[in-house]
Amino acid sequence: MIKFTFYFFSIILIFAAMRLITVRNPVHAALFLVLSFFSSASIWLLLHAEFLAIALILVYVGAVMVLFLFVVMMLDINVTMIRDGFARYMPVATLVGVVILVEMGLVIFSHLPEVQPVVMAADVSNTKMLGQVLYTIYVYPFEIAAVILLVAMVAAIALTHIPRTRMKYQTPSHQVNVRRQDRVRLVKMPTEPKD
Amino acid sequence: MVDMSTFIDVAVYLGIILIKILVLVFPLFIVVAYYTLAERKIIGYMQVRVGPNRVGFDAVPGLRRIRGLGQPIADAVKLMFKEIVIPTNANVFLFVIAPVLSFAPAIAAWAVIPFDDGWVVADINVGLLYLLAMTSISVYGVIIAGWASNSKYAFLGSIRSAAQIISYEIAMGFTLVGVVLAAGSLNLSDIVMAQKGSLIHWYWLPLFPLFIIYFISATAETNRAPFDVAEGESEIVAGFHTEYSGMLFAVFFLAEYANMILVSALAVIMFLGGWLSPFEGTILGETILGQHGIVWFLLKTSIFMLLFLWFRATFPRYRYDQIMRLGWKIFIPITLVWIVVEAAAVLANLPPWFVEG
Amino acid sequence: MPTLNEFLMLGAILFCLSIAGIFLNRKNLIILLMCIELMLLAVNMNFIAFSYFSGDIAGQVFVFFILTVAAAEAAIGLAILVVLFRNRATINVDDLDSMKG
Repeated sequence: MIKFTFYFFSIILIFAAMRLITVRNPVHAALFLVLSFFSSASIWLLLHAEFLAIALILVYVGAVMVLFLFVVMMLDINVTMIRDGFARYMPVATLVGVVILVEMGLVIFSHLPEVQPVVMAADVSNTKMLGQVLYTIYVYPFEIAAVILLVAMVAAIALTHIPRTRMKYQTPSHQVNVRRQDRVRLVKMPTEPKD
Repeated sequence: MVDMSTFIDVAVYLGIILIKILVLVFPLFIVVAYYTLAERKIIGYMQVRVGPNRVGFDAVPGLRRIRGLGQPIADAVKLMFKEIVIPTNANVFLFVIAPVLSFAPAIAAWAVIPFDDGWVVADINVGLLYLLAMTSISVYGVIIAGWASNSKYAFLGSIRSAAQIISYEIAMGFTLVGVVLAAGSLNLSDIVMAQKGSLIHWYWLPLFPLFIIYFISATAETNRAPFDVAEGESEIVAGFHTEYSGMLFAVFFLAEYANMILVSALAVIMFLGGWLSPFEGTILGETILGQHGIVWFLLKTSIFMLLFLWFRATFPRYRYDQIMRLGWKIFIPITLVWIVVEAAAVLANLPPWFVEG
Repeated sequence: MPTLNEFLMLGAILFCLSIAGIFLNRKNLIILLMCIELMLLAVNMNFIAFSYFSGDIAGQVFVFFILTVAAAEAAIGLAILVVLFRNRATINVDDLDSMKG
């Protein structure tokens, strides 16, 4: 049963990854990447990594990919111009991909014996276990990761922020506090004599 | 070779899950349908109108015919028979799948909502994270709908809506962090049980700012008035679902209402003690009013559902930059400060909420 | 339960697909970024598989940090891309040759 689920999601994952690198439209590519994130999250659930599976969906599907989609949709990219040379690179890409895959396959199947999973304590939830090591052994890396995120945030905003010049503001409090004396001036003028 | 008995076990297991889902989803659909009617009726009465009053049937045989009760069914039938118009040059596949993408998470999120002690489809350890994930992927329906429609209004609406949902999700996430900090668990049933005691043991009191911010963010998250700039009629027609008609539109509509009920239920679970009775710990605690049960959960949830309608009838629409300012510059700092305050309270084992530590 | 080798093979296939993707889409900056995300996903898959099969939570901690860094990378990468598009009106890698000697 688990094996079937694994193969089901693996096939979806590989299909999505394949479409990601071959589709013409960047929006479709982003959506296929979302699909591959989803199916790998499901595979991670099989490996009892609930927290990371849901974090993957939350962080990647919910935030990073939305950012990607925003950028792809907002930039007016000339798709056809970018695609020329696709057929030219196809043989090289396939060759490199297959060679690396074969090498990796040789390594995986020649060196690793069949390993049985070591059963982790079932009564402790995955989230709790992760938290326990993250806030004790890995507390400094954790804080560095937080700083990296902060730097990334500041950098992204600093890069893309356009200071608003020539914006016209209204200050409501000024508008409300306007008195008649500030705006209207009654001038007494002598009547001009008729010619 | 699959053993026959394991096959039957699996089939029975799947069948039980399926029945649980059906038991959950059918009442939900009926509530959604009648929520739309309630919205029109209640806003009608608030504006000194009567609301829908033509299509009706005898609610109780022999009693007076209740006008308007058949309205949701009539609406559903009308929408089913309407033509689905697909705009020129629209991406048909994405156009059709977008309503499903916004509807599916809204329903899937209900899997972890406990209605009573043990009354939950999937009692998972990371329930709250799952809910956050589900609400965050409902953005895709909106974005894809706007993009696939090949229409400027729809696209602008979807960009507005998606940016708004993502911004408010941060504030909402922080309020959930506050709840998790208080309860010490991500499991929704555990969160409810951690509030056991009495009315003042519920988290609305120690987490009051988070409670208010949660509900306002939830309103923004579901794109409801006064934060409904995504479909601000006077500005961008109907936002991301401008081009949708017939049943496809109805699915968007269903998703919106299912989401409203979901966030109401969540507010009840996290801040108002879920199925716990408000009379527990008082002199009425020994009577039938002190019993815990699904009735309390439904009552509390319907109060929040009413609030959504009340908001819509009361407040004028926000301006978009003001929405963003409210989310980023007011809500996020307040939630952060309150989480620090709360963490200090948890460390100090402040009674009566954070006693055992 | 699938064996460790199957999970590793899946990771390897994903990794190779993303390398092929970088070759195929070497002109389109945004798909290059997506291929890098896919590559990190393949790496994460291996980490989680190892973590499960050796009963050590450290692998998952690693994945946690990779996710963090990758999110930061995506944010900065996209920011640079937006600035680039604003200045040059293209994201074609071939056009980015103003530093050519």
